[in-house]
Amino acid sequence: MKTLDIYNTDKDILQKWYHLLTLGRAIDEKAPMHQRQSLGWSFHAPYAGHDGIQLAIGQTFVRGQDFLFPYYRDMLTALSAGMTAEEIILNGISKATDLTSGGRHMSNHFSKIEWHIENISSAVGTQAMHAVGVARAMAYYNHTGVAITSIGEATVSEGYVYEAINGASTEKLPVIFVIQDNGYGISVPKKDQTANRKVAENFSGFKNLKIIYCNGKDVFDSMNAMAEARAHAIETGSPVIVHANCVRIGSHSNSDNQSLYRDEYELSYVKAADPLLKFRRMLLRYNRFTEEELLAIEAEVKKELSIANRNAIMAPDPDPSTVLDFVLPEPYLPAKYRDGTHNEAGEKTNLVTAINETLKSEFRHNPDTFLWGQDVANRDKGGVFNVTKGLQKEFGSKRVFNAPIAEDFIVGSANGMCRFDPKIHIVIEGAEFADYFWPAVEQYVECTHEYWRSNGQFTPNITLRLASGGYIGGGLYHSQNVEGALSTLPGARIVYPSFADDAAGLLRTAMRSKGFTLFLEPKALYNAVEAATVVPDDFEVPFGKARIRRTGDDATLITYGNTTHLCLKVAERLAKENIGNIEVIDIRSLIPLDKQTLFESVKKTGKVIVVHEDKVFSGFGAELAATIGTEMFRYLDAPIQRVGSTFTPVGFHPVFEQAILPNEERIYKAAKELLEY
Amino acid sequence: MLLHNVQEDCNNLQQHEVTYFLRLKNYYSMKKIGLFYGAGIATAAIVAKIQEAFGDTQVDRIPVETARGVDFEAYDNLIMGVSTWFDGELPAHWDEIVPELKTLNLHKKKVAIFGLGDQQNYPDNFVDAIGILARVVEVQGAELAGQTSSESYHFQQSQAIRDNNFLGLALDVDNQSDKTDERIRNWVEQLKREFL
Repeated sequence: MKTLDIYNTDKDILQKWYHLLTLGRAIDEKAPMHQRQSLGWSFHAPYAGHDGIQLAIGQTFVRGQDFLFPYYRDMLTALSAGMTAEEIILNGISKATDLTSGGRHMSNHFSKIEWHIENISSAVGTQAMHAVGVARAMAYYNHTGVAITSIGEATVSEGYVYEAINGASTEKLPVIFVIQDNGYGISVPKKDQTANRKVAENFSGFKNLKIIYCNGKDVFDSMNAMAEARAHAIETGSPVIVHANCVRIGSHSNSDNQSLYRDEYELSYVKAADPLLKFRRMLLRYNRFTEEELLAIEAEVKKELSIANRNAIMAPDPDPSTVLDFVLPEPYLPAKYRDGTHNEAGEKTNLVTAINETLKSEFRHNPDTFLWGQDVANRDKGGVFNVTKGLQKEFGSKRVFNAPIAEDFIVGSANGMCRFDPKIHIVIEGAEFADYFWPAVEQYVECTHEYWRSNGQFTPNITLRLASGGYIGGGLYHSQNVEGALSTLPGARIVYPSFADDAAGLLRTAMRSKGFTLFLEPKALYNAVEAATVVPDDFEVPFGKARIRRTGDDATLITYGNTTHLCLKVAERLAKENIGNIEVIDIRSLIPLDKQTLFESVKKTGKVIVVHEDKVFSGFGAELAATIGTEMFRYLDAPIQRVGSTFTPVGFHPVFEQAILPNEERIYKAAKELLEY
Repeated sequence: MLLHNVQEDCNNLQQHEVTYFLRLKNYYSMKKIGLFYGAGIATAAIVAKIQEAFGDTQVDRIPVETARGVDFEAYDNLIMGVSTWFDGELPAHWDEIVPELKTLNLHKKKVAIFGLGDQQNYPDNFVDAIGILARVVEVQGAELAGQTSSESYHFQQSQAIRDNNFLGLALDVDNQSDKTDERIRNWVEQLKREFL
């Protein structure tokens, strides 16, 4: 490979670089003026001091082959990768025509999804997981290309960056992790982040990982490092870290005042290391350009920026009436089972088998379906509960495989892999138990944001399965319900079936739908006789369709998951005792919610009791009760009752579990009181 | 006096005139010592002390910011003063001249390098720049002079170390300022012998 230097680089290339460097710096310096004029760009993280490496990342990126995940300081990276000055400014001042998000996402997040310059979060380092995921797809589909992601050196402190690098190292994936090291995480110096001055050294023991150090302030060193990294990643299919030493000439962002923590001496020597001025001096020193030629380029840049700026300012602002667009993509609509019910007779299947068989069926249906999670893919085992048993055997280890114990990585790499091609659908077991999902919540948030944040340009096609709930004597960390917390985040569908057929039907719909679905499985019912049903082979349940499991006129009992079966027993008992005839509705789908079925029942009965296993306080029942109370108040004859867990963790001793989780007696008592109101 | 001011005057001249004057200067400077250094208050102070320690021996001071290849070729004995920037880099101006240094024939020339570093705050790259620059000039044929013991320093790693010795003179004015003058005096005496 030719090593570029000041002597052997073609003049037209040097001219292009100087143009990009000068244009980028001009925009970087103009950005704060937009804020001062109230035009936008209220978040701006200047890149000055990272010029060499950012130019090199953009120049190394091969459109049509590579995926680029720039971070928020990567303005020159985006420009160098081919975005125009106008496109950069449209993002900066949040216009409707902003390519990243149409003004939805924060400024200084540059992307062009059609070129696979990806739209990323503000949560630092999260995109490293996505890069690994998309590289996994590249490897699977024998695609020649690399995933390039960049982060600041302070971000390496994030555990999920470690997870991403570990994942790329373990799976041998063509990812280039560029660490742009400017010595600070906002005001926090590097020494407070990690012991190694060169943070890439923290990863020196990782197998299959090449580490290249370069001077990120030097154009040639950066170009050579990135070219070497890309060639190595493609040739070996292995990851590379490029550690680029940079300086931060400005403050972290426009909300930061670096003079509060950097002295005059330091500020003067970082200015002395200005990469743009260094490059300019070299062009002159080595007689590659005359002063007049450089001044001509600078004049051209000035004119180009002026036109781009004027065009961007004249572009339309976002329309607030579109705010509800792109929360969730259109789901798959079942043609045969439009209301998600059936009348098929025959042999019953238990819930775990129904899920297992549906997974296999959908894997046969869509060859671009993948599954991974912890402990899910051993020869004679498929997770703790054998839900995925036999999948790897039938579909191979490229489509069904174990993941490291890194929940955030499981979700994040799924998000990334989906970006490769919308035909891909990924099923992930987010954690062994829902209780262990919390480390992945950051990536869960990303999955919920993608569609809205990208203005409908990208949605991760993921079905996230979690074995949920208690009633197994599991204590604090094998009994949790997570839907109350997660339902506060727009952008995910959440389903929680109670019966085998609904589990099969909802899973099929989730796996055929665009977008992100949280599929909660009541693990206590996996092998329970009462949850077993006849399951038609092609059964489908649309999202947002509740199922009336028992009709009645005196009260409406709304439930889902484990408590559906308790409620049905209570309803039968109350009927037998001639206390009342209760209608039991299994909502099945929390988001979207079938308000129509609920409201029709409320109109009929005038009384409502909401039962779920999760805690009453701030559980999903609070939303159900509030919705009905607000929209159906005139039909109510009694206060809405709620039954659920106490506002405590779930204790391990059986007496604690019984005291904490809802049971028949508590539901019976509450329902009886309601009927007698 | 005219020759001493050539470098300053060159800033106002056309390129061909600069080259002419530099060559003229080189002719008269052979066998003398050229001291190349980067701008900076600390380095300038060290340069003054080195010059003083050499006494009557003529030492030409050449700022690296404006130095050209011909300047380096002009001397048989060269002293280079380089501080270490950031996590083990040459300062920008030294880095800029490296491509040109890599084109020079430095055979039969002796090069002594001194560098400023901070062994307490940067123990993993203490005076790295000495080592980086030393390797550049060695590849071009220069013989390294002025290597010194690494005893009495406390650091973890340095690119300036070879066989437990520094490839030049390491100075730490932040943490061992009391030793600076003595180190310079001893080093200059060593150079007087090695430059013969």
